[in-house]
Amino acid sequence: MKTEERLPRESLLWIFAAQFAALLPNFAFLPLWIVGAWGFAVYWRLEVFRGRRDLPGRTVKLLAVLLAVGGLLLSYRHWFALEPMVALLAVSFTLKNLELVNRRDAFLSLLLAYFVAATLFVFEQTIPYALYGCLCIVIITSALAAQLGSYSASPRRALGLSLRLLAQAVPLMVLLFIVMPRLGPLWAVPQNSSGSTTGISDSMSPGDFTELSKSDKPALRISFDGPVPPPEQRYWRGLVYSVFDGRRWSLGVEDEGGQRQWHRSQRPLPEVGPRYRYRVIQEATNSRWLFAMARPHSTTDGVVETFDDRLIRRAPVYGRFAYEVRSWPRETLNDVVPLSAVERRRNLQLPRDGNPRTRTWIRELRGRGLDAEKISAELLDFYHRQFTYTLKPPALGGDSVDEFLFNSQQGFCEHFASSYVFAMRAAGIPARVVAGYQGGEWVEQEKYLLVREYDAHAWAEIWTPARGWQRVDPTAAVSPERIRDGLQSAAADEFMEDSLLPLHRISILNRLRLQWDMINYRWYQTVISFDSDQQQSLLKSLLGDITPLRIAVLLAIPAAIALLGILAWLWFSGRGARAPVTSRLYRKFCRRLARAGIERLPGEAPRDFARRVRAERPQLAPMVDHITAAFEKAAYSGDPMAEKQLRRLLRRFWPMRTAGKS
Amino acid sequence: MISAIVADIGKVLLGKEHQVKLALACLLSRGHLLIEDLPGMGKTTLAHALAQVLGLSYKRVQFTSDMLPADILGVSIFERESGQFRFHEGPVFSQLLLADEINRSSPKTQSALLEAMEERQVSVDGETRPLPEPFFVIATQNPLHQSGTFALPESQLDRFLMRISLGYPTREAERALFQGVDPRAQLQSLKPRIDGATLQKMQRLVGQVKASDSLLDYLERLVLHTRQSPECAIGLSPRGALALLHAARAWALIHGRGHLLPEDIQAVLPSVAGHRLQSEGGDGTQLVERLLHQVDVIAA
Repeated sequence: MKTEERLPRESLLWIFAAQFAALLPNFAFLPLWIVGAWGFAVYWRLEVFRGRRDLPGRTVKLLAVLLAVGGLLLSYRHWFALEPMVALLAVSFTLKNLELVNRRDAFLSLLLAYFVAATLFVFEQTIPYALYGCLCIVIITSALAAQLGSYSASPRRALGLSLRLLAQAVPLMVLLFIVMPRLGPLWAVPQNSSGSTTGISDSMSPGDFTELSKSDKPALRISFDGPVPPPEQRYWRGLVYSVFDGRRWSLGVEDEGGQRQWHRSQRPLPEVGPRYRYRVIQEATNSRWLFAMARPHSTTDGVVETFDDRLIRRAPVYGRFAYEVRSWPRETLNDVVPLSAVERRRNLQLPRDGNPRTRTWIRELRGRGLDAEKISAELLDFYHRQFTYTLKPPALGGDSVDEFLFNSQQGFCEHFASSYVFAMRAAGIPARVVAGYQGGEWVEQEKYLLVREYDAHAWAEIWTPARGWQRVDPTAAVSPERIRDGLQSAAADEFMEDSLLPLHRISILNRLRLQWDMINYRWYQTVISFDSDQQQSLLKSLLGDITPLRIAVLLAIPAAIALLGILAWLWFSGRGARAPVTSRLYRKFCRRLARAGIERLPGEAPRDFARRVRAERPQLAPMVDHITAAFEKAAYSGDPMAEKQLRRLLRRFWPMRTAGKS
Repeated sequence: MISAIVADIGKVLLGKEHQVKLALACLLSRGHLLIEDLPGMGKTTLAHALAQVLGLSYKRVQFTSDMLPADILGVSIFERESGQFRFHEGPVFSQLLLADEINRSSPKTQSALLEAMEERQVSVDGETRPLPEPFFVIATQNPLHQSGTFALPESQLDRFLMRISLGYPTREAERALFQGVDPRAQLQSLKPRIDGATLQKMQRLVGQVKASDSLLDYLERLVLHTRQSPECAIGLSPRGALALLHAARAWALIHGRGHLLPEDIQAVLPSVAGHRLQSEGGDGTQLVERLLHQVDVIAA
């Protein structure tokens, strides 16, 4: 190996910096041993550089590969997923350090680093990660720039060069972002997510929603095309719990299966137009349910409607997901769909025993001959008179409904919804618990509704033969302000009081947080969700009609502008400083004389030139002498008046005419 | 007054008005002069006449190959009467020193003189003695192809502000020389026009000659050209550029102007830059001619 091919110290450090930058965000997703292995490989390579150790031999390398493959096999059971693929990339990246010998290896490692940096966007697409991705690209490009030449460039130069290169690439990037055809993925790699994020889950037991009320993470962002529903109508339905086992409400087994989903063609849309049209951007939930107002319909690909008026996505929502929804509030629909026998059974299901006091009380009410509406009103009145809304209710024992209704009488949405539905079912009225979000914060500047995790809510729906399914929110009977103004004002003292710092009480921080959410919203709207539909509409608004010719023009105009800019820059930078005024005036004089046939030589001083003119054209002599004297005064003795005089003299100096006359 | 000086010297050195002015400009800008010419062209006459007219103390040293630095700088001699060493000043302790045929002596002696020229002081036996003011050296050298010469290295040539050569006289001048009286007798009859103090005052005046931006632009273009042109092996150093500006200022003063014109630079450029520049072939004289033609006087 020739010595000049060896990597100098700066090169190595740059490579390690680039590797670290590219791997750092992935450390969170990768198994810990890969991080350790990377550190060890870097350490070994540095020891090699210091001459304390040799590069590993064939056997050691083979052993390392075997260990790595074994580690991957142990860490990941499903191979056909993104995380193992990224891990494989990281491992190969790590192992390459053990044979980082010459410049070619360095290039290979750095090109791989670009790829690793790009995998970051598989997991996260938020602004901080995007900025970090840019930083990664800058570092990797600098590392590449530092490899060039016979010796390593200084860090500052390499960084400057890479920044300049990347800045030049930005217009191209923007152009390609707008124009490149958006292809769907050729094959989708399933993402394997073991860690579930907080949010509404597929079952509800006492206390679940208190966890949610502690989180102020955004859950949904909803922008409306047309009217915005009033706060008391903002019920974002996500889940319907119809199975109660005495303590826990759950979805029931068959519900998530495919057979109960309505495909687009199977269920006729109402004949009247939808009242609300909106677009929901949902944060990752790692589950399939979506959130919308009843009764929803979506035209977005992969979103289907269930028969209990919810939206479900075919694949779980692993990243932010946007979908278009149209909603028909139930009261606008006239036709009542009859309840099938199966449905009736499902929505009347109760455990065989438990909660005897409630059952007796309901039996009493029924005995008085009250109908569904009356019983419901009786219950709500009972809530209104005796119950208090609190986020910290006392723990409930085995007969949770009985204890809640007759002993503690304190609770929040899930307690009310749960006990209400139990009571209604006991009365023989089909009822179900609905979970989702209620309310949201209207962001005026950007015109969207921000729904946070603490807006999670549970309410009830009952079925009557006259009106079909209708929403009843027992929480509203206890705490109307929870529905109208949100959790923060309903439970001001208890709201997020477990958080380490009561930051939500500082209004400026709340405003800043809202600002940040607006930026995020815009980022998602314009960048992340820029799909082929948006591309088409943007191109249409730019070009009117999308033809190959117009796209070519769209590409050619910025290219031409850029080239012209470069040309102008070269032109001006090549010209240097502008000549002083007197010199320009004198040059004008020389040009006029040249047209008259006497050309000044470059090295000819004004006085010498004047002498020559005097010899060749005596009739011009007086004028030329005056002008030369004025120029000398203006240019060399700093006489401020001389410049004006020079101008005046030049105005009268037309040697062509003078020569022509004589 | 300056034209009177030029005229006085012109009586002795016929038809060499340009060279006389150059020598005077060199002196006014506190530089040293190197005259390169064949023997018998009037080098010594010029030096002597200058000393006479300017009222300077004048000494002449004929350089030979066996000369030692002490022969120029002086030497300390033990005196029996006083019982201590006394310094006997060498010929360098004068206002105008004519170093004749400087390239005949060994490099050691040459460099002793050139050091004194640069520092304007002499260090002998650990004692530093200042040279008189003004101090002006006119060195002459024979063309290098003559036998028995030691060429001055570039670094020492650089110490001379100007290098001029007198050249053969014109026909008229030579005829006048044949017909006229003996130049040596003329030389004796020259009266000092000024004294050392006046000369120093005039030297200070040189620094006040105004150089406008346009002119400095021209100077910069010239200097840049010498540094960038493929013809020049060595460009003009900042010291050379500064020398050019000083000499041109003195030239302007000699012509009675308070500001510089491009002509001033053009006039002194061959003598200031000629020995500092080097072309591929060797000397820079032709190079300077081309330089003057190629660089535009007026800014583009």
